Amino acid sequence: MKTTWKEIPPVPTSQEFLDVVLSRTQRRLPTQIRSGFQISRIRGFYTRKVKFTQETFTDKLSIILEGFPKLQDIHPFHKDLLNTLYDADHFRIALGQLSTAKHLIETISRDYVRLLKYAQSLFQCKQLKRAALGRMATICRRLKNPLVYLEQVRQHLGRLPSIDPNTRTLLICGYPNVGKSSFLRSVTRADVDVQPYAFTTKSLFVGHFDYKYLRFQAIDTPGILDHPLEEMNTIEMQSITAIAHLRSAILYFMDLSEQCGYSVHAQIQLFRSIKPLFANKLVFVVINKIDITRPEDLDSGTKAMLDSMLKSGEVELLQLSCTTTEGVTEVKNAACERLIADRVAQKLKAGTNSSGSVGGRLGDVLTRIHVAQPLGGVVREAYIPEAVKNLRKFSKDDPNRPRLARDIEEENGGAGGYNIALKEQYKLEDEDWNHDRIPEFFAGKNVYDFIDPDIESKLAALEEEEEKLEAKGYYDSDFDVEDADEADIRMKADLIREKRELIRNEARMRKSLKNRAVIPRPAQPKKLSAMEDSLDKLGFDTTAISARARSQSRGRSVLRSRTGTEDAMDVDTPTNNIDALRPKSRARSQSNRRDDGVTNEVARSKAERLQKLGQKKMNRMARQGEADRHTSAALPKHLFSGKRGMGKTQRR
Amino acid sequence: MPQNEYIERFQKQHGRRLDYEERTRKRTARESHKVSKDSQHLTGLRAKLYQKKRHHEKIQMKKQIRQKEESNVKSSGPSEPSSTPLPQYLLDRSQPTNAKALSSAIKNKRNEKAAKFSVPLPKVKGISEEEMFKVVKTGKKTAKKGWKRMITKPTFFGPDFTRRPVKYERFIRPMGLRYKKAHVTHPELKVTVQLPIISVKKNPQNPMYTQLGVLTKGTIIEVNVSELGMVTAGGKVVWGRWAQVTNNPEMDGCLNAVLLV
Repeated sequence: MKTTWKEIPPVPTSQEFLDVVLSRTQRRLPTQIRSGFQISRIRGFYTRKVKFTQETFTDKLSIILEGFPKLQDIHPFHKDLLNTLYDADHFRIALGQLSTAKHLIETISRDYVRLLKYAQSLFQCKQLKRAALGRMATICRRLKNPLVYLEQVRQHLGRLPSIDPNTRTLLICGYPNVGKSSFLRSVTRADVDVQPYAFTTKSLFVGHFDYKYLRFQAIDTPGILDHPLEEMNTIEMQSITAIAHLRSAILYFMDLSEQCGYSVHAQIQLFRSIKPLFANKLVFVVINKIDITRPEDLDSGTKAMLDSMLKSGEVELLQLSCTTTEGVTEVKNAACERLIADRVAQKLKAGTNSSGSVGGRLGDVLTRIHVAQPLGGVVREAYIPEAVKNLRKFSKDDPNRPRLARDIEEENGGAGGYNIALKEQYKLEDEDWNHDRIPEFFAGKNVYDFIDPDIESKLAALEEEEEKLEAKGYYDSDFDVEDADEADIRMKADLIREKRELIRNEARMRKSLKNRAVIPRPAQPKKLSAMEDSLDKLGFDTTAISARARSQSRGRSVLRSRTGTEDAMDVDTPTNNIDALRPKSRARSQSNRRDDGVTNEVARSKAERLQKLGQKKMNRMARQGEADRHTSAALPKHLFSGKRGMGKTQRR
Repeated sequence: MPQNEYIERFQKQHGRRLDYEERTRKRTARESHKVSKDSQHLTGLRAKLYQKKRHHEKIQMKKQIRQKEESNVKSSGPSEPSSTPLPQYLLDRSQPTNAKALSSAIKNKRNEKAAKFSVPLPKVKGISEEEMFKVVKTGKKTAKKGWKRMITKPTFFGPDFTRRPVKYERFIRPMGLRYKKAHVTHPELKVTVQLPIISVKKNPQNPMYTQLGVLTKGTIIEVNVSELGMVTAGGKVVWGRWAQVTNNPEMDGCLNAVLLV
């Protein structure tokens, strides 16, 4: 159950409310509309505005409405407390006004959406929207007072202490100034104001403490004066509410010294008059300030009255003094003890059915409770070995005492001079090994890496095997050196390896494309010399094959020809007619026009220069060729037309 | 756990922070600067809202100043009637406030006389037929005809009205634009009440609109004033009274009228 209402969202004032809603409509919805648009679109635009505003109003109002507690749903104590503090009627009316406003706004929105369906022009739509929003705003403005009231309630509600009506509670009440708050301060850590005037505490205060690992709450109430319920003010009514509704142990504080300004008689009278509220509750009369006056000090008349108050039996008298802290814990413990016992008894009573057995959930719990008893009372003694029992008590003066490490140290030079011989305590197979020296490093190796615990057994196994082999005569046959054949094979293998490596390198070189196109192997140019080389290496005669290749080649162009450089050509005179006809029948390639009519290289370069000069203008104008006569638009429309937002050209 | 009025309690125990006074003083001193900055630099909707707020504030300020100035000036009339009796012929003088009230009363009377034969809205803007009616096409694909009209303005028709058969219904009066009640202001009592309409008496635009019950600005309607409890000179309770529509109902979504008295 809810005991605090700290998370109620803030309630805006009517003006803020309106600003929020209207600016939200403005921000969240499109704002551009033209009278030229289709009327259905215009209608839709404005309908959306009206509906959206209404939805926002409804949302915000329902958030407020849901945030506040509903009086019929909360505990009667909180209900009454809220009633005394904020006036339940006022509270209900304020919330009712909000919900009415919500309803009205919904109606308005419905009406205007209906009217917008018949609107004929943008202007009419706009006016209707304006009227709708205006009427919603008017309704909202009328909520000014309820909203202000609710905001105040919210703030106050959030600061109320969290009082759980069902937990273990000590309720401290009494006349003003009898030391209620001082008691709360002394038993809990609550920071309550204590002042020497009446009505220092104006509202309920809560403090918590633990007793027997259980959490208790102590509630400090404002003082009550002895007058009829109708005349009580809000502050006193809070106390009355707490006393009436909380299931608690009530500590009625009294001040016999009359320092509080009220006579003992009046205090007893108050107790009598509020007694009807104590029905079915534990009541303790706590005498405060016993450092000044104790009940024994009273005169006989007052004492008799006090006794008559306690006579009925269910009221217990406790005494304490907050200033000297005498009896504070005793009072607390006594009250808590009684309260726990009472609550348990009540719970059991509630869980017991008519036949007398405990049933329901309580029964389930009770059956599961099992208190373990150790061994049913049998005594089992601890086992102590004989040796330990017979152990002699160690004493320094005993000559037969066991020798301690400390004694050894003393004998060998005392502290600082003596090193404990750790090696003596090694547990090796042979005790003689204890003092063997083992180097940490040997021949640059960490010895520890080579330690093998099974080395002995392994060595033994190896030796045994060796012996066997020797016995078999395995080592007898002589082992001759490698012969010439093997050397030859080795040499050849080396050659092959080298060759393979070369091929691989070459392929690697070739494969690195460096951004060039992949050329298939048959299309790759292979030099004749390369072929000759490789065939030579393989030991073939290449004269015939290279002659054939040369005869089929087209030969060099004029420019590349080595005219004059080569030796005089040996004339290949055809031996028969067929051979003579052969070159004539071959398809002649077209002449290269770039080379036609160019006599030598000088002429060629001159021609190229002229060509470049001729193309200069064309290139400069970014023409595609000589035939490109295109004239582009001076102001291309797609680049210079269209929307421009954000002000003029000058002011952007 | 802080509970109840813990803020006040803290302030009582420890006081405010040391520079509280200085800060509040500075804040108030900067207030005018902030106002100036806001009014210069805000743009868009915020600016509009802000200007409106300032406008109201300034009006309030000026009103206050004027009140203050007026309170300083001595009023012409004596604060209380003099104890010595005045002769009859002097009674009218020395009471300028009285004189003012008299003259306004005369003016009012004159106005009323003229008002007997006039209405609060003597002139209205004309409404064209295109605006008043929307053509509704009837018939199927080939024989589409346009003889049917829908009235685009709010109308009144009595509770016993039944629509004619579709074939004969030339004017459609949409249910969504039907008004049964009007907010009627009594010009002398200055009260506005929502009253049921009895009938449409006169539409200034066109006699046909009167027949159709179209409600536009300036239309004279008859309203049921029995709620007001008005009584004739003879002591009978007045039931129907005429009123003139003062707003454009199609724009505002409501019907406002002024009672003709």
